[in-house]
Amino acid sequence: MKTLLHVQELTKEYGKEKAVNEITFSLNKNTATALIGPNGAGKTTTLSILAGLLKQTSGSVVIDGDMKGDIRSEIGFLPQYPQFYSWLTALEFIEMAAQLSGIDGKMIRSQAVRTLDFVGLEDAKNKRTGTFSGGMKQRLGLAQAIVHKPGLLLLDEPVSALDPMGRREVLNLLKELQEHTTILYSTHILNDAEEMTDQLLFLKKGQLVEQGSLKEVRDKYANLQYKIIFVNTEEAAKFVEISPWPAKQENEVVFIHLEENKPMMNEVLQILANSNLQLSKVERASASLEEIFLQVVNKHD
Amino acid sequence: MINFSILFQKEWRENVRNFKILWIPLVFILFGISEPLTYYYLPQILNAVGNMPSDMAFQLPEYTPEQIIMSTIGQYQLIGMLIVAFGFAGIIARERKNGTATMLYVRPISYNGYVFSKLAIMGILIVGSACVGLLANLYYTYVLYGAVDSIAFIGFLGTYSIWLLFAISVVICCSAAFSTGIASVVSIFFLVIVPVVDGLLGTYWTISPWKLPMYAGQILNSNLDKTPFIWSLIITLAVVLLLVVGAAYIAKRNVAKAKI
Repeated sequence: MKTLLHVQELTKEYGKEKAVNEITFSLNKNTATALIGPNGAGKTTTLSILAGLLKQTSGSVVIDGDMKGDIRSEIGFLPQYPQFYSWLTALEFIEMAAQLSGIDGKMIRSQAVRTLDFVGLEDAKNKRTGTFSGGMKQRLGLAQAIVHKPGLLLLDEPVSALDPMGRREVLNLLKELQEHTTILYSTHILNDAEEMTDQLLFLKKGQLVEQGSLKEVRDKYANLQYKIIFVNTEEAAKFVEISPWPAKQENEVVFIHLEENKPMMNEVLQILANSNLQLSKVERASASLEEIFLQVVNKHD
Repeated sequence: MINFSILFQKEWRENVRNFKILWIPLVFILFGISEPLTYYYLPQILNAVGNMPSDMAFQLPEYTPEQIIMSTIGQYQLIGMLIVAFGFAGIIARERKNGTATMLYVRPISYNGYVFSKLAIMGILIVGSACVGLLANLYYTYVLYGAVDSIAFIGFLGTYSIWLLFAISVVICCSAAFSTGIASVVSIFFLVIVPVVDGLLGTYWTISPWKLPMYAGQILNSNLDKTPFIWSLIITLAVVLLLVVGAAYIAKRNVAKAKI
């Protein structure tokens, strides 16, 4: 797979504070990468540096050789809270954005209209952006980011501000775009990341603490525990007492951590069978991205 | 400069839709007209509204048309400068603060084109309004006080426009460098306070941009001292160039301050 962007030991300092600390990663062409991390992890700073709004303190950003001239014309950027000139209509704004990004004169109108149709704003294209709701602004923000068909799309929390329906629609739009665009987006809503991602980057306090495909990260973190559900809390507590392995109890649920696939499932079942405790479910837990996220974040505390 | 026309179209739409294109000329016209009218009708106004004893006599000075026009310039030097400073101190700083500029800065724009679009719209609004206001002023002065030499008036108008260009450049450069609040304070300092200081202590020097309104008056009265005027003009234009180029440079450096 072809690499579109390579970031090497990127660092951004504000005084002594390191907002981004020596992060290194690559983006392959036409893939979607999710930048995940708690608030203040450096997601927005990273995206802003890539968009050319901030200058890094050190480190390098290398963009694929096919992109020549001012690379800003090859980048589409959606800020977390897109702001528009309230006195321009949506169409006027998108036309301006297309012109500034160097779209050919004859193409501007048709391209702008098509983009607004694509994001679902065809009915509002002649309304002033000052009257737009939050969801419409988010769509318009997406429109201005993609109107010039950039090779690299940088999206800062593209769906966080949307209601469930809007989120679904925008995610579908992004999936469509991903077929011919490289997307790097930040999010703290992990279900969204789970849905559309080829690569995960976990940021914490400016550091890249984990990266890999969804499957790689899953394999690394997911099968770490057995989850045993008892019928009530008392039963669970009794099991914690007799358990030969360190066990953690949360109400009627007990977790046993696996280390290098030990203990085996049948060992656990044997203990349970001998104990005569009443249980309702035993499973080798496949953690959701949210649990992985918490594990990653806590591990690097 | 390739983006100039696109960015200028945006500025134009803004100022048409927020009615600055309407109220700024109106303010300048209002002050332009009111000056000759109030001077001319002052005795009647006093008679009509003042509770004066009927045998009281006024010794009002006889004004020349040139004095009326210069008195209007006196008004513009305060009211006009306040409009320039407070009305436009946010011309770059506000876009940066509210995040709208982010959408421009992520595109391949030229910062020269960006600053020139601001310069052009302010030039049209301020220089245009002041010229329209002074023409209205000239008309009433002509009707009530008599004619002024038209060549001298054109020279006066041109010189005063160069001063306004200087004022505009100061505001744009401040707006590129500072937040809206600080930009308006610094602009007021350079456009209202410094002229006063220059007027009080300025007898010790003759070459300064702040002396241009005074030289404009001298042109009107046909008693111009040419050498210091030419030098002031050259210095002013050089400073304008410096401020505009500086504004583009500073605007580019301050991209990181834009709200994201």
